[in-house]
Amino acid sequence: MTDSAQELIEYICKEIIRRPTVQIAADTPLVSSGLIDSFSLVDVLSKLEEVTSMRIPAGKVQPKDMDTVSLMLSTAQRVGKPRK
Amino acid sequence: MSASFPPVQVPFATLADALLAAPPQKPFVTMWIDDDDERTIAFGEFTRWSSAQAASFKEQGVRKGDTVILIMPQGVALMAAFAGAMLLGAVPAILAYPTFKVEPAKYRFGLTGVSANLNAKLVVVDASFPVEFLESVSLSDQSKLVRADSSPSSLGNIEVTPTPCGPQDLAFIQHSAGTTGLQKGVALSHGAVLRQLHHLANALKIAPSDRIYSWLPLYHDMGLIACFILPMVYHLHVVMQSPTDWVLQPESMLHLISKYKCTLSWVPNFTLQFLARRVKPEHRKEYDLSSLRALINCSEPVRAESMDSFTSAFSPCGLKPGVLQSSYAMAENVFAVTQSGIDDTSAPRRIWIDSKRYQSERIAVPIDKVSDRAACFVSSGQCLANNEVRIVSEIGDELPEGHVGEILIRSDSMLDGYYNRPDLTSLSLRDGWYWSGDLGFLVDRELYVTGRKKDLIIVGGKNIYPQDVEEIAFGHPAIHDGRAVAFGCFNSDLGTEEIVLVAEVEEISILGDISAIDRAIRGAIVAELGVAPRAIYLKPPRWIVKSTAGKAARAATREKLLAEHPELRIS
Repeated sequence: MTDSAQELIEYICKEIIRRPTVQIAADTPLVSSGLIDSFSLVDVLSKLEEVTSMRIPAGKVQPKDMDTVSLMLSTAQRVGKPRK
Repeated sequence: MSASFPPVQVPFATLADALLAAPPQKPFVTMWIDDDDERTIAFGEFTRWSSAQAASFKEQGVRKGDTVILIMPQGVALMAAFAGAMLLGAVPAILAYPTFKVEPAKYRFGLTGVSANLNAKLVVVDASFPVEFLESVSLSDQSKLVRADSSPSSLGNIEVTPTPCGPQDLAFIQHSAGTTGLQKGVALSHGAVLRQLHHLANALKIAPSDRIYSWLPLYHDMGLIACFILPMVYHLHVVMQSPTDWVLQPESMLHLISKYKCTLSWVPNFTLQFLARRVKPEHRKEYDLSSLRALINCSEPVRAESMDSFTSAFSPCGLKPGVLQSSYAMAENVFAVTQSGIDDTSAPRRIWIDSKRYQSERIAVPIDKVSDRAACFVSSGQCLANNEVRIVSEIGDELPEGHVGEILIRSDSMLDGYYNRPDLTSLSLRDGWYWSGDLGFLVDRELYVTGRKKDLIIVGGKNIYPQDVEEIAFGHPAIHDGRAVAFGCFNSDLGTEEIVLVAEVEEISILGDISAIDRAIRGAIVAELGVAPRAIYLKPPRWIVKSTAGKAARAATREKLLAEHPELRIS
């Protein structure tokens, strides 16, 4: 697993899910499984920009592109632009 | 029903007439995805697109009075298809587009049921509509399913002569919440819609210079009526984005209001709280909200703290006093029943009442607001013209001012009936009064909505029936059948209710490892209802409080859970 994926997983568990018993992997469905709410995706998107050092135009992203950590990272690669 | 009200002079006989009278050059819809991807269409171009769409529908055999189901993503193509159907005198109905969260079997079930009831001549889906759902559309021998064209150019230049219609003809069907699988089609005539818009426009003091901002879905009355049909009839510009685009960039609402100098917008309560909490103070200076005349809190209970949080966060952005207003609306009345005073800086009214007497006697007795027994309620305003509200007891007796009871509504913009459901119509419409199922009280003609008779949970403006959540829990083999209770719990961070579920397991030994059960139930709730529960509590057998009839007692179980988990009360 990449450092970016690990950092995102830790952030999502600690700051978003906030339930000590819940563990997630890079391919764990998050929104479609009810682990996180769509409204939390704004914070996750912001964290994704931070860990990938990319600017991600939110208008090019759909909630389904953010359902797993793996999808988030591939979305960042697809639509993200390096920060100036 | 309209006979009991003074007649209203509306400028058009039908919605199609209103569209055809629009100034062709005036911008109608700006569809915004981001600043690199936005498109504005003027009324003239929109009308040509609608007319070409009508010609295409006519070729498919659609005629006056036929229903046309539209299942397309939010956008101008959907709006043009809707208007195109109306130009033919047909009756369009927008159904929700499938999202990645929905469980396919559940979506299929709903689609089959709703499309069977509508018995449409034509079902229109977009080019990307998933193939696996197509066979779930109920089609009769007379009906067809087609993929819509996403641009006017693919439709050609053929236009149609609008089919003559009158105020009594059905204009469209909008769907009202019901327990899962029981979405009710609300059939509305052109006359009812135009009368509602006339009253609403007067209450809002609509002027041609008004510009609306919306992220609301078009399959919901607030999005459809306030943010599509109102601007279509009154020839206003609407700046729109889809709900899914908004959810990933909530600040875009502020950006668009600033950029386009929007004057009117409608949002559910949680939006106010959400923006106040999420938009960082250092970002706020980028926005100018001084153009707003009214930002109307509608479709969820109106909460003073959410209004105050928004005002406090965004007053430095030019938000004027009196801009935040409230309304009580429902699909069955086309849209608004009440509206608080536009341009009145003291509206909406607030009342502080004795919470003890409210709970024990169901009456609203004013009390000093600093009292520790004071509970604040925000008014949803006074009735629009030709709208009446009556509060009744459980046995239907009219209650005096300040008494809490069910809200009944009578107006000249009421539904004709639930489409093809005379059984449901006769349950809800009695002697000209619509029984809303909502609870509230009146003081000085102001309506205060306090909740739902049937324990409805409203999550982000979406109605969730606790019975549906409980049914999902019963479906899990570890849960004792009939022993689950769901209810709403207010989350002050989000400004909306969230679902809390408590369920009894079959055997106490199961409680050793509950994470798999939690995950399965949680996933099923999202798949079936589209929202994530906040918390699921699994309890040993015989934990849930039962009624004398042996059924789970929702209110008593809720109190027991809140006593064990006080953290649910505070956040």
